[in-house]
Amino acid sequence: MQEAGPVDWATSRCRSLGTDDFSVILYDSDEGQARFGNNSLTITNRLLSKTLSVYMTKGRRRILGELSTMERASVEGFVERLFRSMNTAGGESDFPPLPGGPFQYRFNGDFDPKISDFDLSGYASRTIDAALSAGALRVAGSLTTDRYKILISTSTGVNQSEERSQFRLNVRSFTDRDASGQGIAVSTSLADFDVEAAGRISGENAKLCRHPEEVEAGEYTVIMGPSVAAEIIGHVADATSAFSVDAGLSFFAGSLGKEVANPGFTLIDHGQIRNGINSRSFDDEGVPTRSDPLIEDGVLRTFIHNSTTAARHKAKLTGNAGIIEPHVWNIEVKGGDQSLEEMIRGTKRGIYVTNNWYTRFQSYTRGEYSTLPRDAAWLVEDGELKHPVAGIRLSGEIPRQMKEVDAIGKERKWIQWWEVDVPTLMPALRVPKVKVTKATG
Amino acid sequence: MQTLDRDLAERAVEVAVKADAEYAEARLQRSVDQVAVLKNGEVEAPGYGETLGLGIRVMYKGSLAFGATNALERSSVTELATRLTKQAKASAPYFKEKIRLSREDVHLAKWRAEEKESLDDLTLEGVISYLKDLDSVAMAAGTDVKLVSRVLYLATEIEEKYFVNSDGSKIDSRVPRVMVYAILTGASGGNLVQRTAQYGEAGGWEALKRIGVREKVGEEATMVLKILRDAAKFVPGQMDVLVGHEVAGIMAHESVGHPSEADRILGREAAQAGESYLTADDVGLRVGSVEANVSDDPTLPHAYGHYLYDEEGVTARKRRLMAGGVVTELLQNRETAQTFGVDSNASARAVRYDREPIVRMANTYVEPGDYTFEELLKEIPHGVFIKNFMEWNIDDKRLNGRYVGHEAYMIEHGEVKGLVRNPIIEISTPKLWSSVHARGRDMEFGAATCGKGDPSQGAPVWHGGPNFVVKDIKVGAR
Repeated sequence: MQEAGPVDWATSRCRSLGTDDFSVILYDSDEGQARFGNNSLTITNRLLSKTLSVYMTKGRRRILGELSTMERASVEGFVERLFRSMNTAGGESDFPPLPGGPFQYRFNGDFDPKISDFDLSGYASRTIDAALSAGALRVAGSLTTDRYKILISTSTGVNQSEERSQFRLNVRSFTDRDASGQGIAVSTSLADFDVEAAGRISGENAKLCRHPEEVEAGEYTVIMGPSVAAEIIGHVADATSAFSVDAGLSFFAGSLGKEVANPGFTLIDHGQIRNGINSRSFDDEGVPTRSDPLIEDGVLRTFIHNSTTAARHKAKLTGNAGIIEPHVWNIEVKGGDQSLEEMIRGTKRGIYVTNNWYTRFQSYTRGEYSTLPRDAAWLVEDGELKHPVAGIRLSGEIPRQMKEVDAIGKERKWIQWWEVDVPTLMPALRVPKVKVTKATG
Repeated sequence: MQTLDRDLAERAVEVAVKADAEYAEARLQRSVDQVAVLKNGEVEAPGYGETLGLGIRVMYKGSLAFGATNALERSSVTELATRLTKQAKASAPYFKEKIRLSREDVHLAKWRAEEKESLDDLTLEGVISYLKDLDSVAMAAGTDVKLVSRVLYLATEIEEKYFVNSDGSKIDSRVPRVMVYAILTGASGGNLVQRTAQYGEAGGWEALKRIGVREKVGEEATMVLKILRDAAKFVPGQMDVLVGHEVAGIMAHESVGHPSEADRILGREAAQAGESYLTADDVGLRVGSVEANVSDDPTLPHAYGHYLYDEEGVTARKRRLMAGGVVTELLQNRETAQTFGVDSNASARAVRYDREPIVRMANTYVEPGDYTFEELLKEIPHGVFIKNFMEWNIDDKRLNGRYVGHEAYMIEHGEVKGLVRNPIIEISTPKLWSSVHARGRDMEFGAATCGKGDPSQGAPVWHGGPNFVVKDIKVGAR
């Protein structure tokens, strides 16, 4: 296989240098993008890259390297430099050998060859037209595709490769400076990539939330639409990383087996799932990825691990390496039993928020945060949308809010965009007693 | 490690122009990175990276295309330059607003950021040894109560570029950078205090000494424990605020720098980083008091966001964004400058070879005044000194900002009193800048990584300023 050249050269040199363990991964990516603003394309991008990631160990020392030049001499020279650096770095620590296997892998086949002929500019134009037809006056966004191959070879005999496809769209429509709506489409296949729907939703929401009014600061029940909920749940998923726990940054430290959320709340990490655009059949240590409930019926079931954190915690591998930090792949929150309309109908005084950004923490360990709604939001009174609102900020403590979630939506949507890194299949969540504040002046 | 093959970049521009591009530029960029993490004294796997690639941007009849590759054979570069020009041609009908670039001077230049102790000679051993020393400093803080967790991160980068465009500019540069990031946590009796701090400069290994990272981490660790032990509950109310250097910097960055980015004002970043409360007609608009003076200067020596030419080959200079409370200048690249009918002020930055140049801040700060610290205090009968912050955010038009204090003290009759916990400034941008009353003469800068762009570009920046007095505003509590 032509692409295996750099991997072969790197693994061969790792062996000849006498490393104890190695994991070599080649990422070969062809990314296309059409960006647009004011109903017009602003740039088209084509990014071709190959990146070789090399992890090696010797005794109680290890190192992780990344190289972008793929000639044989460069690769071999790089591996030798890594080996020398590792031996002189002085950074000794305790870590286990790479997991040995043998492993069984299951590639879910989520690759769409149609990505090769995808008409980025044409689809961007269709997005803009759909938003304008739905009432938008100005439309902006980015439409991105990525066709990529990943090859892994480890000292424990793992040799795997897979090819995948990503289609991603984030569109934002405006009807006024203070009235905007967001649309998202995320998929691994063109058939499931509905840019018109995303454009239409963004345009409709921009039209519906014109002339927003102020609301009084205070405590409100907040209905977090899937985009908002996914952003917050991303921080919940981060807190399940054993690295975060060990670093003293997780609000879940000491909570394994305990109730950490509403009993109806279940959060699952999927190494592979249909239309999960970050799917992989193996992690960075060659361990097969899995589907694991992280929080099940409100109870924290597991932290996610690489081999180092699993050894420290005396836990089983979860297939989530990251050499340094274990991380989730694609996350899913199980749907609840209420439609969005029912969630609104059951709210006496609240705010329905469709999007947010700029979440920041006073304390990661306590999950004390604030975040800013953006795009369409409405005041809810006596079970009805009263009027659009703008200029508010939400704050609170994530661990408390997780327990206080009192309704989970039945409709779910894949969310991934600028503010939500991890692809998340997410319903709406309703959270009582969220602090809502406004700027003075 | 490969050297920069300048012919490749020049070849890319020639090929694009031959294929009918009206404008073409190429940026050959090499980065060498070292990174180490110490988590509660334990060394995580250190990292070393070498990245070399070529970014090419072409324009055809108002259609802009950017591409990048790290396959640096002549044939691959030729193919990409040809493909991008075809892509620009094919996409041209979809560019309903045609893109034009301002005319700028041609430069042939070579420049390097000052570097006394070269990062070329730096070993991971040196990096890890430095972090272990920092960790021991953090651990030494406190007597009966110690920090419950320390995460220390040190990254170095050597960035070398060769820029060439079809106007005839050819610019070589080299910028080394060092950066330390610390997360320090103290906990006792059910209370918890956490502090993140980032230090960075353009320069060699000597920059860490110049910044005084060792001393600062020690002070931060001590302060976390002091706040934990001594800080009283903050009583919210209407009062004066003495804004510390660090808070001044983030305010300047978030509520003056970002809204002054011309691409945001024009709607190009609307779906990601957002827009601006300023419109295209707002140069000359009064936003603040005469004491509100904010600038951005890429040329500041040693600054984390230091550069002398931007990624479009334009000579960098200081930009006065707000002078005497009036919006005086926006941050412009060649594309936005053409739309505004002005010259570019060299605001185009790209953080890697495979990222397009977009409008960015460099080093944004409140200009100094002439007050001493004691004189600033005398202006405050009742208020709070918010020296630095943890949580902060702002809406995507940059009107509604929030800054939550970390180290903060009450001020009574011009005297600094006891520590208080987490005072919150949540204020509109015009209210903030129109309430600026007096500025100190001493300046301090801090490092940060500013996010913008899609694909994402985390750009190294400084922000800072003097301590300054904000009169009679509402201050809240958590």
